[in-house]
Amino acid sequence: MIPEPGEGYVRLSPRKLLLDPVKAVGQAIVPVVIALVGISRSDTQFWPIIIPLAIIGPLLLGALPWLTTHYRLTATQIQVRSGVLNKTTSTAPLDRVRSVDLEASLMHRILGLQKVQIGTGVDDDRITLDALAAPDAQALRTTLLTRRAVAEQAAEHAARSDDLVTERSDEPVAPPPPAPAPAVPLAQIDWSWLRFAPFSLGRLVLVLGGLGVLSQFADDLPIWNEETATSVWQWLTQFAVAAIALVLSVGALVLWLVVSVAGYVLQWWGFRLVREHGSLHLTSGLVTTRSITVEEAKVRGVEITEPVLMRLVGGAELSTLATGVEDGVTQVLPPCPRDVAVAVGEAVLDRPGPLVEPLVEHGPKARRRAWFRQLRNALDVIVLLAVGWWWFDLTWWWLAAVAVGLLVLAAAAGEATYRHLGHALSADHLVAGGGTFARIRTVLETEGIIGWVVSQSWWQRRIGLADLTATTAAGAERVLVRDVRLDVAVALADRATPGLLTDFLAPARTPQPARSHARNSASNSA
Amino acid sequence: MTDVGGTAVLREPSQQVSPRAIPFWTVSALIGDAVLVLAATAAYVLVPGVPGWVGLLVVLLALLATVHVLAMPRIRFRVHRWEVTDTAVHTREGWIGRETRIAPISRVQTVDSRQGALMRLFGLASITVTTASAAGPITVDCLDQHVARDVVARLTAITAATEDDAT
Repeated sequence: MIPEPGEGYVRLSPRKLLLDPVKAVGQAIVPVVIALVGISRSDTQFWPIIIPLAIIGPLLLGALPWLTTHYRLTATQIQVRSGVLNKTTSTAPLDRVRSVDLEASLMHRILGLQKVQIGTGVDDDRITLDALAAPDAQALRTTLLTRRAVAEQAAEHAARSDDLVTERSDEPVAPPPPAPAPAVPLAQIDWSWLRFAPFSLGRLVLVLGGLGVLSQFADDLPIWNEETATSVWQWLTQFAVAAIALVLSVGALVLWLVVSVAGYVLQWWGFRLVREHGSLHLTSGLVTTRSITVEEAKVRGVEITEPVLMRLVGGAELSTLATGVEDGVTQVLPPCPRDVAVAVGEAVLDRPGPLVEPLVEHGPKARRRAWFRQLRNALDVIVLLAVGWWWFDLTWWWLAAVAVGLLVLAAAAGEATYRHLGHALSADHLVAGGGTFARIRTVLETEGIIGWVVSQSWWQRRIGLADLTATTAAGAERVLVRDVRLDVAVALADRATPGLLTDFLAPARTPQPARSHARNSASNSA
Repeated sequence: MTDVGGTAVLREPSQQVSPRAIPFWTVSALIGDAVLVLAATAAYVLVPGVPGWVGLLVVLLALLATVHVLAMPRIRFRVHRWEVTDTAVHTREGWIGRETRIAPISRVQTVDSRQGALMRLFGLASITVTTASAAGPITVDCLDQHVARDVVARLTAITAATEDDAT
């Protein structure tokens, strides 16, 4: 049971006593074993003292958090008291609660527990209750989210009656009952989406990292020394190198298929995205279950990402950009068909358009910049390689081949970058297209823009282009419109945040040709 | 949607930074560059068997440093400008590139001023205005310290009057 408002402090679930000590023993086991081994070599007479200490110590330490953590709800606040020597009390006003996330690891789920994290709009300051019984956690989430709405209404009402002095404020005002707020499903898992799993390379980084760690161990294996390596190599070269390469790559591919599909299933099992109590609520996970809640009033926009491989099969990912969430960007959909991502994105934005409308292109100069930027990067690498080649005195043919490959890749990257480039202002939203290999479209409410940065490198100044950055508190805290003509950038910023730039605008120094002037003013007034 | 090339451009902010910024930038550039050039020269002299063309590189480095020390402060003084109206803060800075920043005062969260040891010698101070975005801080370098104090006081007064959480 969660405490009613006004009741005293209560402890977390007593089942936490099973959770924490087990975790503590798990963490302590390595140092304890090492210590025991060290001691056993010197002396054995302390064993009867040490072994109970080694077991009871972690158990006691693990029990401490349960003994010392209490929480309670008041009519306006949630308060959490914790600590042994340094008592800390965290409080959060209910009307400031922005997100309530539930998470349960495998241990949590076996014990029927859930970890509750309450976000209050201040980025790093989240209140964590680890752990509550699962029904209590759900009840707390519902209570917090509905009470937030009531608290806000009450505050609004108070503000209104402050404004209207004539209104008799002593008149008893019954708080409006919380709306039933039926949950509107926005999306749920469709297992045909599994086909996108192998094309999503985000997980590949983890796999490679894992392999890296394994290779560390491989170095220590006794069989892996120079002699075996050479003999293995000789044995290998007896076979056709091509066949071996084929087997290896097929093996890697199969491994990747298994890992990526398994990862997708683990992460997105039972995925549901619903809208309730004015929040977006996401649940998913096979072993570790997550339940993430983002307040819709704090969602300032969305970002749709189509990584290059996913585009081949028509897939996309969707994230929301919100203020007051830990990292601001919350992935709300698994890799899924583009249509689904767009539909959910439009539901979140509450209007069609910004995610599909064509973008204004940035013109041939921007294309030149995109090519130039990528080619210059490639040239830098080639110069470095050339120095290395000269140093180690290697065959120049190889370098030439690598250089040509890099240049072709750079040209492709440049052209792709330009194709993804663009901007638009649609239905009160700033839309920025970008990304090198992935196509990324960022949509930000103009309400959420809290400043502008126009920056020009020396190269950009020469051809009249600029990078326009809209600063915001949501998501990655910036939305970049790259390589846009300076006057277009200024006009875009002016239209996105009317009034902000008015004081700082001046007529163009160089008069525009009459025809384009007429066209521009026509489209401005439109 | 068509390509809306507006005819308006951003005008430059109205205020210049303190003229004492020129000697300040000169001195700080001189200190930095002198360390670099001296280190390069010392390395050239002390390391035995360095080919002659490396000496040319050191001379080139010294020349570049001289140009930097002489030209940078003057260009920068012409470029750096700032303006605080009742509704927005507007700055321009840079000497090779250009960066213009605008933030509405209603979204300003903190106003800091900073004065290093060398800046105090020249009677200068910098102010930094931050918003809720990590990409949004606006810095005005090298104001006269009295002007800086006035600007900070004015901005603090305005931001204290706004109640929104500025996100």
